[in-house]
Amino acid sequence: MDDLNPLAGTAHLLEEVDKKLMVLLRDGRTLIGYLRSVDQFANLVLHRTIERIHVGNDYGDIPRGVFIIRGENVVLLGEIDREKESKLPLKEISVDEILDAQRREQEQRQEKHRLISKALKERGLAVNTDIINEDFC
Amino acid sequence: MLPLTLLKTAQSHPMLVELKNGETYNGHLVSCDSWMNINLRDVICTSKDGDRFWRMPECYVRGSTIKYLRIPDEVIDMVKDDAQAKARMRSEMNKGRVGAGSQNQNVRGQLRPRYKNTPQNGLKSGSRGPINRPLSQAGVNKTRK
Repeated sequence: MDDLNPLAGTAHLLEEVDKKLMVLLRDGRTLIGYLRSVDQFANLVLHRTIERIHVGNDYGDIPRGVFIIRGENVVLLGEIDREKESKLPLKEISVDEILDAQRREQEQRQEKHRLISKALKERGLAVNTDIINEDFC
Repeated sequence: MLPLTLLKTAQSHPMLVELKNGETYNGHLVSCDSWMNINLRDVICTSKDGDRFWRMPECYVRGSTIKYLRIPDEVIDMVKDDAQAKARMRSEMNKGRVGAGSQNQNVRGQLRPRYKNTPQNGLKSGSRGPINRPLSQAGVNKTRK
């Protein structure tokens, strides 16, 4: 049966063209836009893109226009389910509020990291921040 | 249209380039190549934290350091119009071959691409007269042996 279609069960980025997709980048950014074109490196062209920032149960959208994303910076992408999109359990807030919330969350994370490295240093272990990979989920 | 082809058509348009280290470069695209190496002019570089700015008349960015590029919406509209016009041309031409020649009269009005102000071959858009066209485009008779 499988020699009828050796490609059965595989996925092509070309099938995702003109769909509304969510793209997750290696730096943690979430972009939502319509995929217009792809190439062999999985470089993407996203149209009518918005950057969505999530903090807790809140989110904020920043319209960004057209993106040409270099393929190696993409973690994953997925088609947005329109029904689920309209029934999100999350609350949308304004851009200024979400940026504030994001900054506060970032500060909390840095403070926590500072305390942990201090505690570790007191116990004779050093955390070298230079080698920490910037890629995070 | 392929992403790198779209980038090529965005030449002379302003754009924003973000590098993997978070720096952003705002400038007009001069040129690009198949490795995504780009050359920008009138560039403003912003550090990752957004606190430091540099201004430079031109800069070269190696493609492998780019995270993404943001281009103005008009570039993609330009490309869309171009693709639609070509598709219409092709279908009209096919119809014209089967039917009467009069159908071709309607096509002529649509043959001209609808985008404006794109310089071709370094010429300004206003100077498309016969004097400024390169000889190869003007249809000069090549000498025959």
